[in-house]
Amino acid sequence: MDWSRRGVAGLLLLPALLVVVLVAAAPIGLLFRVALYPPGPVAPLTGGPELDSFASLASAPYPSVALRTLRLSLLTTVLVTLLGFPVALLLSRSRGLSRRIQTLLIISPLLMSVVVRAYGWMLILGRQGFVGETLAALSLPRAGLLHTEAAVLLALTESFLPFMVLALAASLDRIDPDLLAAARGLGASPARTFCGVVLPLTLPGFLAGASFVLVGSLSAYAIPALLGGSAARTFVMEIYELVTISFDWPTAAAASIVLLVFASALLGGAALLSRRRSARVFGV
Amino acid sequence: MRIALAATATLAYAVLLLSPLAVILYSVSPGATLEIPPSGVSLRWFAGLADQPRLVSGLATSLVLGAIATGAALLAGIPAALALTRGSVPGREAVLAVLLSPLSLPGLVLGLGVLTSVAVLAEATGVQVAGTLLPLVAAHLLITIPWVVRSVTAALESADPALEDQARSLGAGPFATLFLVTLPNARAGIVAGAVSAFVISFGNFALSLLLASGRTVTLPVAIYETVDRYQDPTVAAVSTLTIAAAVAAAVFTDRLSNTAKAVGRPSPGAAGRPSGPDGFRNR
Repeated sequence: MDWSRRGVAGLLLLPALLVVVLVAAAPIGLLFRVALYPPGPVAPLTGGPELDSFASLASAPYPSVALRTLRLSLLTTVLVTLLGFPVALLLSRSRGLSRRIQTLLIISPLLMSVVVRAYGWMLILGRQGFVGETLAALSLPRAGLLHTEAAVLLALTESFLPFMVLALAASLDRIDPDLLAAARGLGASPARTFCGVVLPLTLPGFLAGASFVLVGSLSAYAIPALLGGSAARTFVMEIYELVTISFDWPTAAAASIVLLVFASALLGGAALLSRRRSARVFGV
Repeated sequence: MRIALAATATLAYAVLLLSPLAVILYSVSPGATLEIPPSGVSLRWFAGLADQPRLVSGLATSLVLGAIATGAALLAGIPAALALTRGSVPGREAVLAVLLSPLSLPGLVLGLGVLTSVAVLAEATGVQVAGTLLPLVAAHLLITIPWVVRSVTAALESADPALEDQARSLGAGPFATLFLVTLPNARAGIVAGAVSAFVISFGNFALSLLLASGRTVTLPVAIYETVDRYQDPTVAAVSTLTIAAAVAAAVFTDRLSNTAKAVGRPSPGAAGRPSGPDGFRNR
């Protein structure tokens, strides 16, 4: 096949691009149109176009729910970075069987359904779960951590930790060992080599990982719904209930658009920052 | 310093392992309530799965959906990977970013978009696809194609194109070269992509939640609905089966990339593993 002909390449790309257009781009465009109808449980949708559904997001409970969601996502990103960096460092320094076992431990959770992992945390944290039963077995007052923000945070951290580890490890693996030897040879202490050479070079990996974790935890539904419930309502939970309980499609669509725009801005910003940063490090 | 590092890493691994371990422990508990310490080991909840039609039908739906989505993702993803690595595509990085973008969009929002589209389609043309597997297949294609594209692209990039030139100069036609040289050389990447695609479809929850109803309820949605309402170790039993499958898939892809490296074949490399954000680096 003559691959260099543009028509051939275009034809080969067509099915995959068509899926993105038909199942992502068009539906998102449609959501934008639905958001322009007047808010409220009306069917069939008539009236508008107007921006009232977006305006209704400014009233309670949405601002406080959005703030909580943002806070949980930021905390998740911080925890995942603090826990993930040592794991990535040890991973990038190991070889052979040890490296394969570590990779397996990091990747396996990614292949399990998020519902199954959230279920595991329910079993651990519930009053009738491992925590509650252990307390009872020790004749302590039975208590549980379920339906708290802490439970959501814990499960989100577990769920996004592998992504951060893999992103950081990819950056660490790319560091030229000669660079570290040069720093040491020029008289830098191990601590200074770490802070002055290793940390800046992992910044692109950190940015890619952090933006993915931030957007992913903002978009999470199963974990806050199962582990937080009414005690830790998040933005996506509101969208789900707008659709399934209040049948307010315009407001649900408006909230979806706001989330999409915010997520895209975060990802785009991180990509831009990472490109500028790597240009400064490598382009001197 | 070294001790602090090892301690934090140990804590991180504990956080990763605790929740699957809890599910496995509960699935083999003799009674319906958790016991500390456990009084024994029983497999009765695995046998009890047969009496849970919702979970069984969810499992069947997820297996069928995963197989269809994987097959279709291979059909769409392999040609795309060929175009990206062997063809001349203007704005290659941008096209790749577009193809991978569904992975970083909120699943529930995408599901809502597809649900709205299905309703609009029914209203405009009278074609009713709600309640069939079609909306779920379409939605799952969106998140399985990126894994195939990433994995096959990486395999094709590390394959030696000179082999294909030699095949052509020895008289092989373009299709013979494609099917006898190019694709077999990318075999490890194709298999890794297929395994990832199936696993991602099988475990997906956020995209499926709004699209699954009645007979099309997938296993993760069925588990979600059940754990929310009852305390029942049968759910733990079926969850344990999926955990075992996930670990098997991870071991399989690891062996695959390792054999590929050992015999000098193109390895699926970083892309064969679900290395998440790495693929978003250039976005």
